[in-house]
Amino acid sequence: MIGRFARKLFILAVALGALGPALAQDMIELEAWVAFSDHRYDWAVDTAERFNALQDDIHVEMVSVVDYDTIVNNYTLGREDGDYPEIVQLFDAALQFAVDSDWFSFAEEIIAGREEVLGHPVNFDDIIPVISNYYTVDGVWASVAWNTSTPIMYYNVDLLEQAGITELPQTWAEVLDACVALQPLVDDGTISACASWPFSGWFIEQWLAQQNEYMVNNENGRAARATEFNLDTDAYRAIAQFYRDLYSNGYFIFEGQDQWGPPTQNFISGKVAILMSSSAAARAVSEGAAETGFRLDTTGMVYNQDAPSGWVGNILGGATMWISNGLEPAVEDAAMAFLLFFSNTENSASWHTASGYVPVRNSSIELLQNLAPGNEILWDIPSGARVDIEADDWYAAFPNFLTASTQLGNSTVNNATRGSTYGTFQQSRPYYNGLVEDYMLNGGDLDAMIMDTNATLTELLQEYNFLFADE
Amino acid sequence: MEDIAYSVHPILVTLVGAVLGAGYFAFLRWQTQVGSVNISLLIGAIAGAAGATLLTAPLGYCMFQSDQKSEDIMVGWIAVALGLMLTLNIFSSLLWRYFRGQRLLPRGDTTPGAFRGRFGLVYALAALSPTILVLIFFVYLPMFDTLRFSTFLARFGAPRTRFICVSNFSRMLSDVDYHSNLFLSFALSFGIIIIAMSLALLIASMLNQPIRGASLYRTLLIWPYAISPIVAGSIFGLLLGTESGIVNRALDLLFGAKVPWLVSIPAAQISVVLASVWNVIGFNILFYTAGLQTIPKDLLESASIDGASAWQRFARITFPLLSPFTFFLIVTNTIYAFFDTFGLIFVLTRGGPTESTFTAMYRVYVTGILASDIGKSTAQSLILFLIVVGITIVQFRVGQRRVQYGNY
Repeated sequence: MIGRFARKLFILAVALGALGPALAQDMIELEAWVAFSDHRYDWAVDTAERFNALQDDIHVEMVSVVDYDTIVNNYTLGREDGDYPEIVQLFDAALQFAVDSDWFSFAEEIIAGREEVLGHPVNFDDIIPVISNYYTVDGVWASVAWNTSTPIMYYNVDLLEQAGITELPQTWAEVLDACVALQPLVDDGTISACASWPFSGWFIEQWLAQQNEYMVNNENGRAARATEFNLDTDAYRAIAQFYRDLYSNGYFIFEGQDQWGPPTQNFISGKVAILMSSSAAARAVSEGAAETGFRLDTTGMVYNQDAPSGWVGNILGGATMWISNGLEPAVEDAAMAFLLFFSNTENSASWHTASGYVPVRNSSIELLQNLAPGNEILWDIPSGARVDIEADDWYAAFPNFLTASTQLGNSTVNNATRGSTYGTFQQSRPYYNGLVEDYMLNGGDLDAMIMDTNATLTELLQEYNFLFADE
Repeated sequence: MEDIAYSVHPILVTLVGAVLGAGYFAFLRWQTQVGSVNISLLIGAIAGAAGATLLTAPLGYCMFQSDQKSEDIMVGWIAVALGLMLTLNIFSSLLWRYFRGQRLLPRGDTTPGAFRGRFGLVYALAALSPTILVLIFFVYLPMFDTLRFSTFLARFGAPRTRFICVSNFSRMLSDVDYHSNLFLSFALSFGIIIIAMSLALLIASMLNQPIRGASLYRTLLIWPYAISPIVAGSIFGLLLGTESGIVNRALDLLFGAKVPWLVSIPAAQISVVLASVWNVIGFNILFYTAGLQTIPKDLLESASIDGASAWQRFARITFPLLSPFTFFLIVTNTIYAFFDTFGLIFVLTRGGPTESTFTAMYRVYVTGILASDIGKSTAQSLILFLIVVGITIVQFRVGQRRVQYGNY
């Protein structure tokens, strides 16, 4: 009797077990990996929750991964194991790899000419051209822009005025002049040095673009697949020399390759007068300056006044959201709908105010210039990080947030400023950055160093091409 | 086979192995004066031929083909040498056991009651199988993959790979950057091991004194070992920043001077060593504390009654009796210093300034994980593996003579 009952119970359990997933099948679960773990991650979680609240059948789960490099590695390894998210944030340097790997569905192909996806409007034309251009591969819009930034200068105006500088430096020469003027403040112990900024390969890429120079051949890999490195240029030499001049005169505090925290801290705490950093640091630097109690002003990234081309423009940096391929059409649409929500006019504006990343839509800038009373669109989280402003025009209250948009807006879009794309981007960065570091710290035969590194990087690139390029 | 041109023909390679093997066995026969000369020569030649082909034949003797560079041929001979070391050792120990009339395989522990009877072997295997399976799937198969990938040009996510013989290895022969990475690994490891072990012994000796709250101190001192190298790196990053670091803040207030801990040479290397020492020292203290408690008190007391000074007691009694612990710690600390410090380096210095803290293991990480260039990085990791195996063998050889186990 008990035996039969137990068997019935067992059959029932099996039936329920089979039925359970079938009942839950209506719910689409999406995982999205982002490379943030600070207030920017909080914003992403908050926005995903607002999206989840809009409908019952899609649930987006945000996952925080340490940094840009790690997210690419983890996704790559996950892909080998068959365990990866539907949505992943990939930074600019991974663009060519993302395309070559054949692991992603392109946004434009998912949208397939629709005006909206699950009720979320596409409105592609609204995206700022320099941004949509960067992430357009062979004429197809590949990924959804989210966090877009560009380097800008941050100046401690109080210190500059103390040194008798009234105009903010715009060029390399003006930075060096300002450092000469600031030297008395260093000597009397008011500050530690003139300038400090993260020693990142990203700035080298930017300065090449400003001088209308390519990093790799075939027009930065935009006209055809890049096959050779192009470091043997006056533009690259000039960058190395600028760093050497800054450092050997004691104007620059070097905190190590790719260390972003310490230089920013040096500036915020008033130990240096000049910081160069991502526009994405605008929020943190503004708050830090206010806390320490000095006046902050910003300009576009300083440029080489001696470059024959003058200032041409800057590349945009940051990352975009990619959708893994091989998903069910309904899941793919859900992912696309989420990303359209994630980057719509209101959220893009909110994201900008929360971080300093450039709004990716023109309509977001317009929205911020004409705020309705109460400014509900501004990011509101319990942590108290909310910015309450009186003005209708957000940029009138926070002019430093506009510097990045202006810089990108004024940039000429060509294949130098669209930035390089090639498969060994991540691998190569430490090489061309390390060369400049070596020359800055130790001097030496710059030409020989460049020849050597250029050959190494070209070899790596050709190996990559051999494994990935269509034959 | 006929249409491939060789600069060194496979038959010649095999012959060289056979001659070396026969010669080595003849030497052993002369040295031991045991067994038949002819059999020694025959088995020696077979072992030598097997050794010469062990690592070269699976690759089709590609490194000896005429289109290869001289570095590749050199790598080929190194592979022959490694194969010979392996086969000659195994064959000679077996042959001389046979000559001496011993069992070919040493008898294991034959304690009565352990897995005996008809199904003894089955039970034993069943009990061992979880471990064996874990070893197969998580150690031996990945190891085999590592061997295989080291002969390929390969990247994660790539649609194809390319067999490139031993180019990944021969490239390292001529790569001066890699040589300095290797040298640096040795130098930093040496510093880490010396400081971490001597300091740990000092602290453990102090902990061994009857002081109040010794167990609390012990816990606090061992605690850094529970922290992963990455976190240790972050902690030291906060401490050692040039402008914003706590250490320089203190130095500035006290002496008006700042040390660029992480961005100058040799300060960056010293910082990496100190951070690693801090990270691993808890482990050493743990073992030395345990070791000190095994030393019989009466021995020390009687020495003390006989007039031995504290230093003499330490040098003549304590330190020799601790030698098994010292030996164990040297081996584990070598492995830590070579393989586990890359996370700390990644956070602390990124191998800088100007690659002055770029160790060979950090190179493996950067090449394989950050750049997905797995062919090169597996080859680099095999070199490191061979080095650490080599060091460990040397340590065991030296250790067997110096270490005193038990029986006091």
